[in-house]
Amino acid sequence: MNVAKGVAVEVTGLTKVFGEGDTRVEALRGIDLVVAPGEFVAVMGASGSGKSTLLHTIGALEPPTKGDVRIGGRSLGTLDDDALTVLRRRQIGFVFQAFNLVQVLTAEENVALPLVIDGLPEREANARAAEALALVSLTPRRAHLPGELSGGEQQRVAIARALVTNPVLLLVDEPTGNLDSRAGEMVMALLRSLADEQDHTIVMVTHDAGDAAMADRLVRLRDGIVLDDQTLPRGRAAAELLSEDPS
Amino acid sequence: MSIRHAILGLLANGPRHGYDLRATYQDDLVRAGKLNIGQVYTTLDRLERDGFVEHERVVGAEGRDKKVYALTAHGRAELDRWIAGPSPMPLDLRNEVFLKIAIARRIEGVDPQDVIERERRACFERLHEVTQARARAQGVAVEDELLLDLAVLRLKAFLKWLDHCEEKLS
Ligand SMILES: Nc1ncnc2c1ncn2[C@@H]1O[C@H](COP(=O)(O)OP(=O)(O)O)[C@@H](O)[C@H]1O
Ligand SMILES: [Mg+2]
Repeated sequence: MNVAKGVAVEVTGLTKVFGEGDTRVEALRGIDLVVAPGEFVAVMGASGSGKSTLLHTIGALEPPTKGDVRIGGRSLGTLDDDALTVLRRRQIGFVFQAFNLVQVLTAEENVALPLVIDGLPEREANARAAEALALVSLTPRRAHLPGELSGGEQQRVAIARALVTNPVLLLVDEPTGNLDSRAGEMVMALLRSLADEQDHTIVMVTHDAGDAAMADRLVRLRDGIVLDDQTLPRGRAAAELLSEDPS
Repeated sequence: MSIRHAILGLLANGPRHGYDLRATYQDDLVRAGKLNIGQVYTTLDRLERDGFVEHERVVGAEGRDKKVYALTAHGRAELDRWIAGPSPMPLDLRNEVFLKIAIARRIEGVDPQDVIERERRACFERLHEVTQARARAQGVAVEDELLLDLAVLRLKAFLKWLDHCEEKLS
């Protein structure tokens, strides 16, 4: 946690407006947010509060209407489309609620895909995909198609795919939204361990309080603005909590 | 919670002495509750008076006399009755956060929404503590997991209630 110095993500005065006239929606209305390398930040808020828009703007999937996003010190506003594509492909790992796996490719092929698209030789891409799948404990499932995997397994494949490029930033949108509670717990424990053991920088969007509480820091959005920004202190171990005196 | 029935339950698999019952109760069954040895013997005395347990004096390893307690048939029937019956579900509506909100509403210049906001932050810290502990604890016993789940779900429910308070009082 916060081992490396500096800034992984810096968002300043971020505004995002969709549509015009009658259909005009101000999804983000002046967001400031700094994320340090190795931080695990949850962004929480009601549906429609702007969580996904914030994530997509940080991840260069949507341009800001106003304001700036810097990833690893580089302002996205200064990059042309090609440079943004490369940044998305190499520096950022996305995980979505709906997994977004390619149905006709195996788990390992899905994970290798970002590397193959980036021009890596297939053998090397597959070797790295195998490593990423091991990290999410899915080696035995590597030859399966997404349709042959449970929801939780598919999401873990999606996480492996997000990790395979060794990105500086993981952007995760409602990772447990399509999962039952047990599979959701596993996915959250996996994200937690990525932050603990691999020092990944994670920005995760969720409307679930339990998932949000897994992060080290909680940013609450309402109507496109930051309502609260709370660092969650490291607590005690399970054994201590289990024997805590109720009085 | 019924200490009586916990003790009957701990005797269901064979006779045990008081210190042993206390240790299992505290270290295994109800880790969040302290039970002093006096309470154990008082409870055993009452259970014996009611015919649910009986004791026998046994000479222990160090040559000391020990009372070893065993479940009677009557005690076993009482244990089965307790397990089969529904537990009381106390609503326990004495709540400190509610009290603060209610008092804040009655005092000029104190905003109950500020109370709600502070309590929400505290609740998130607590939820963080429990979910982290659960995620990081490798190979936790299933019963411990169930207790941590109970804590998580209660805290999530409480957060939801705070949202309701905020909405209804705005
Ligand atoms: N592509 C879009 N076009 C028009 N409106 C959008 C678009 N994306 C999001 N919005 C609107 O912006 C607001 C915030 O949406 P979103 O960021 O998806 O919220 P959340 O993820 O918190 O549910 C909503 O009112 C939504 O309808
Ligand atoms: Mg969303």
